Amino acid sequence: MPLIELVNISRTYRLNQIRVEALRDVNLTIEEGDFVSIMGPSGSGKSTLLNIIGCLDRPSAGTYTIVGNRVEKMNDNQLADIRNQLIGFVFQSFHLLPNLDAAANVELPLIYRGLGGKERRRRAIHALEAVGLGERVHHLPSQLSGGEQQRVAIARAIAGEPRVILADEPTGALDSKSGENIMAIFTKLNKDMGITIIQVTHEEHIAQYGHRICRLRDGQILQIDETQNGRAVT
Amino acid sequence: MTTTDNNKKNAVFSFLVRTLFAAKMAWHGVLTHPLRSALTILGVAIGVTSVVSLMGIGEGARQAVVAQFKSLGTNVIAIHANDVSVEFDPEEAEELVERVSGVEMGTPVINTKAVMRWRRARGTINLVGVNNEFPDVRDHPVIAGHFFTQWHVMQRSPVAVLGYNVGHGLMGGRSPVGHTFTLNGETFRIVGVLAPKGAANAEGIDDKILIPYTTALKIAGKKKVEQIWLKANSTQEADLAVVQLGRIYKRKLGLDQTAPTPGGTQGGEGEAGPGATAEVMEKIAAAPSPRPAPEKSPIPGGEDLITITNLNQLVKEADQANRVMTLLLGGIAAVSLLVGGLGIMNIMLVSVTERTVEIGVRRAVGAKQIDLLIQFLMEALYVSALGAIAGTAGGIWGLNVFSHYGFHTALSLQSIKIAVMVALGSGLLFGIYPAMIASSVPPIEALRRQ
Ligand SMILES: Nc1ncnc2c1ncn2[C@@H]1O[C@H](COP(=O)(O)OP(=O)(O)OP(=O)(O)O)[C@@H](O)[C@H]1O
Ligand SMILES: [Mg+2]
Repeated sequence: MPLIELVNISRTYRLNQIRVEALRDVNLTIEEGDFVSIMGPSGSGKSTLLNIIGCLDRPSAGTYTIVGNRVEKMNDNQLADIRNQLIGFVFQSFHLLPNLDAAANVELPLIYRGLGGKERRRRAIHALEAVGLGERVHHLPSQLSGGEQQRVAIARAIAGEPRVILADEPTGALDSKSGENIMAIFTKLNKDMGITIIQVTHEEHIAQYGHRICRLRDGQILQIDETQNGRAVT
Repeated sequence: MTTTDNNKKNAVFSFLVRTLFAAKMAWHGVLTHPLRSALTILGVAIGVTSVVSLMGIGEGARQAVVAQFKSLGTNVIAIHANDVSVEFDPEEAEELVERVSGVEMGTPVINTKAVMRWRRARGTINLVGVNNEFPDVRDHPVIAGHFFTQWHVMQRSPVAVLGYNVGHGLMGGRSPVGHTFTLNGETFRIVGVLAPKGAANAEGIDDKILIPYTTALKIAGKKKVEQIWLKANSTQEADLAVVQLGRIYKRKLGLDQTAPTPGGTQGGEGEAGPGATAEVMEKIAAAPSPRPAPEKSPIPGGEDLITITNLNQLVKEADQANRVMTLLLGGIAAVSLLVGGLGIMNIMLVSVTERTVEIGVRRAVGAKQIDLLIQFLMEALYVSALGAIAGTAGGIWGLNVFSHYGFHTALSLQSIKIAVMVALGSGLLFGIYPAMIASSVPPIEALRRQ
């Protein structure tokens, strides 16, 4: 059973009278342990695709299955549980809560899972150590650099031990050195922990960290390329 | 079986963790913009303050008025002649006690003045002539000495019982019992001092002197008295006695009066019942609070020659009128509480708009709608609860200030309960809409806005 299976997925936005077809008949299967980069020009539907995979949005048509769960048939609360347990999100602009310190931000998904305070703290610190921020546990986001903030965001994404990390332009707001640092962390998480990674990026060299590159245009998948990394693995 | 039990336990624990966290996050929300929160809290607090203090003033006025009426004694019926022509023989008091059932005591009352001399000081003093049953009729005991006796009354003795202030003033707090003074040149012996009733209470008796009515009649140069006070055994008997008295005097006026009005003897029975009269009320009530407009028809058709007043009824009417007044004040003040609630709603709507991204992030990491609903609702409740606490403190302080300036105030627990409940209620009412908005923003919408 594949981790993620999209069959004939379409997503149509309606703005007043205008219909925008952000995704058209997309078919995509992602196995556990894969590392996929999604590329394409602006407006081609990359974020839309990622949001649907992340259960933040629902397709207008088609069937989407994640770890055996048929998303179209689930209600809002069930989707929240799926996001909480199977998925970790990383955003371009980090989206840390400004009035919580690093550890508290990382604990966030664990709270909504209902874990007790001690267990949460233990896991949060563990996750921060995994991204090399064991020394920054009590820093507020405003006291951290952009690269460090993104690492806190990654720690938040992995704290709940998800099956897949979804990252929408995770390096878009970072300098190239920090960007490579983030990619190194993704590669490590993918290799050592077997976490599936799906990232959207505009940069070819960032995309190359993945095993496969999925190229979108006008809401459709043009082609899927295998990278050097992918060949090395398979 | 055990797994479902465990699941249930886990679900409860999970809910607890999330609610506690929502409470914490809501608190963070309040602290994020301290000035803004403080102003909103102030809005609620002002509402609560005005409810607590206005109701406290209303309640204080009510208690003051009731205390004044009550100071006249319980179950007392006052019969008052409004014209010299219908004044009473002093013996009439005794006759009425005999005739009217449920009445076992009574005293004629005559008010007069005399020049008093005490050592080297002299001045005019108000005298009240009564019989020896006065302390029981008016529930007014002596605190020093004793009251004059029936013997004194019969003998027209020159004895006096001093009102508290008079008694206190004479010898700087030492008991003046046994000493003498003169009234219009005649020497009187002080046999007792009355207990204090407080300013404005009991017709200002603290500043008067009581003497036997027989003696008072002599001083006044009169044969008749203008008032009779009767004491009924119970509230019900007082009500019945008033009806009976109405009938007695209706007949009497018809017979005795020299020029009765044609309708002088008619009128429905019992109309004399619950009416309180303007005259009596004006004398006894120097209260600053509004009074009920009393019906003025004790002896129907008798041109108000004689008024019969059931003091119980006065107390009741004053009490009710003031209760209504208090609630009205509270109601008006509650409107300002509503305004405070609108302040909460306003600030919560702003807060929700500002924090859309936060909402989106929470939803992305697994928060359910209910989690956000609880969080934002709690934030509104914190604001209203803090407002309620601050407002209660403000109200208590305000009442202190008011009482400092001579208002009668009474902090009523009821007013605090009402104010706090309305404050929390408005927090809930005006917080629920913003909270619902917060919880129903679709996650992608929330994350799209930056
Ligand atoms: N909420 C929405 N309402 C209407 N149209 C939308 C909405 N979200 C996206 N679209 C449209 O759908 C199309 C795809 O948007 P999407 O955000 O997926 O593009 P993208 O590939 O992520 O672009 P970028 O690289 O600029 O982030 C665009 O034409 C966009 O205008
Ligand atoms: Mg995008």
